[in-house]
Amino acid sequence: MVITCIVAPLALAGILGFAFAEGDSPSHVTIGVAGARADLVRAAEHAAQLPRSVSVRIEANRSALKEAVADGSLDGGVVLSARPIALNHLLIPIIAPGATPSPGFDVMSATSSLAGQQWSESMAAALSSRLYAGRLVAGSATDRAAISVESATLGNASKGILNYFAPSIAVIFLFVGAGLGMRSLLLERSSGTLVRMAAAPLKPNRIVFGKLLAIFITGIVSILVVWGATTFFFGADWGDPLGVLLMCIGATAAMCGLGVFLTSWAKDEQSAFGVALIVGLVLALLGGNLLPPGALPHFLQVAALGTPNGWAQVGFGRLSLLSEPASAIINPFLILMAIAVVTGGLAMTRVNKMVEP
Amino acid sequence: MLSCVGLGKQFGDRIAVDDVSFAIADGECYGLLGPNGAGKTTTISMVCGLLAPDRGTASIDGAPAGSLRAKAAVGYVPQDLALYPDLSATENLHFFGQLYGVTGRRLASRIGEVLELVGLAERADERVGTYSGGMKRRANIAAGLIHQPRLLILDEPTVGVDPQSRNAILETVGSLGISVLYTTHYMEEAAKLCRRVGIIDDGRLIAEGTPHHLIEAHGGQDRVRLSCETAGRTALAEACRRLSGVAEVRSIEGGLELVCDHGAAVLPTVVSAASHEHVALSGVEVMAPDLEGVFLALTGKELRD
Repeated sequence: MVITCIVAPLALAGILGFAFAEGDSPSHVTIGVAGARADLVRAAEHAAQLPRSVSVRIEANRSALKEAVADGSLDGGVVLSARPIALNHLLIPIIAPGATPSPGFDVMSATSSLAGQQWSESMAAALSSRLYAGRLVAGSATDRAAISVESATLGNASKGILNYFAPSIAVIFLFVGAGLGMRSLLLERSSGTLVRMAAAPLKPNRIVFGKLLAIFITGIVSILVVWGATTFFFGADWGDPLGVLLMCIGATAAMCGLGVFLTSWAKDEQSAFGVALIVGLVLALLGGNLLPPGALPHFLQVAALGTPNGWAQVGFGRLSLLSEPASAIINPFLILMAIAVVTGGLAMTRVNKMVEP
Repeated sequence: MLSCVGLGKQFGDRIAVDDVSFAIADGECYGLLGPNGAGKTTTISMVCGLLAPDRGTASIDGAPAGSLRAKAAVGYVPQDLALYPDLSATENLHFFGQLYGVTGRRLASRIGEVLELVGLAERADERVGTYSGGMKRRANIAAGLIHQPRLLILDEPTVGVDPQSRNAILETVGSLGISVLYTTHYMEEAAKLCRRVGIIDDGRLIAEGTPHHLIEAHGGQDRVRLSCETAGRTALAEACRRLSGVAEVRSIEGGLELVCDHGAAVLPTVVSAASHEHVALSGVEVMAPDLEGVFLALTGKELRD
């Protein structure tokens, strides 16, 4: 119980934090910019809200920047095209950082530096935002919209990967945890303690409900620990706390319901362990939990909505990536609860058969 | 205390229990004796409410088997160890006691009592997984007794247990003074513990009564086993057949077996006949009829088959 509720979630949070929370990393990141005026670079640097561990260097031209990235003196960089850039092209790096190709912008980074790539993309977005704003009539509604887009995009950029992947991976952890919970029930069946419980003066559904409740509580504690640990130790921001709490409850209920139902078909504890791992991996791939947002092909993005973890992604994504309020996750939450009711009900029926005479 | 009427259970085409009826009085120890696969475990599973009977009924103290009242009155000790090996005996008893609604001081007191009863008080706080086979069995029985049941059901509690632990288990069960349903395929255990015995084979209860009554009715005659050399054995067999009181003479490995009404009474004449035929006897054994013989007589097969 302690391992499932505390140790494993802390280990997961630690791995995610050290892997993705590079904003807190003590290692210094240097990125270069070529093809832009110094005042534009400074303005973009300020707009990008770069942490102190990231510094920006102006390079003379594209080849100098490329050479510096190649020899490792720069972790990444952005080259602005010397040709005029269309107004609508400027929106691409603002709205979709990392989108390639971004006409007019050439983002490059050392293959080993995820941080170099991330901050180069942020700088590209900030540069394009300043350029976009500079071409509009000052004080116009469109100008404010551009600035708003800039701050929304760049404000989350520092922990974007951690904010996205922490709940994403934790949701899959929930499924595997539920499968392991079901495995313990099968273990009780094979060891005879379940028979002894069934012989006690308890209604069978009380035994089953108790078991499922224990699995749910274990799940909710584990995801809350991941949330707390990534927030307090690595500075992640999962979004509106009320929304996160609701999503944690919905995701836990749905993933535990599905996990228990699927593993209840296993013949013994060994096969339950296999089912939990294999189905967990398939769900993770299908629901897009292992990939950055929007990386799945369109048909898989649609298919992801057939999985509870896909809907959990939607809810957590709205909260962490788009900074939307709790009201924005009502639909994903309700869908997850509906999945929980259906799969949980089926799971109870299956587990009841193990206990009832 | 327990009444079973026409119990029947079928798994697919196989009839596991067929029209089994018996009753156990308050404080009576009743043995269900039969070989492996005879239907003993299926019968007690129906009594404990773990299996729903296809036919017939069982009631415990007037309550239908499987009802919460009936379950509360029963202490079930399954054949296999049904405890958490990572917990101590005390912790296991604490958990199973609470399942039966025993809590607080009463539970603490009961834990001490039953551990004392089964001889595990000194190792109460050690993990059950570290116990020997016999100790695990005794802890298993303790868990069935924790709530002071009125009927204790033990499913072959001595299988695979060393003789010392077996004796300890039999002494414990014999000292309880409550109703006991005891299944076994060891006839000596049934004869020692049980006031009445039901013999079950192929799912059917084929005989029932006190061990003495069953032996008298179905056990047949005394057997006298003579160990002797091969030379002269045929002549000795012929001589024994002529003796009064000897009903049958069989040739067995290493000697002869005589079937007679009173083995001890014919022994002097048998020894005399051996001397007359110049056959040296290396061993003589008189065997009174037992439940093994009863089972053999009723089914034509050995109890341990």
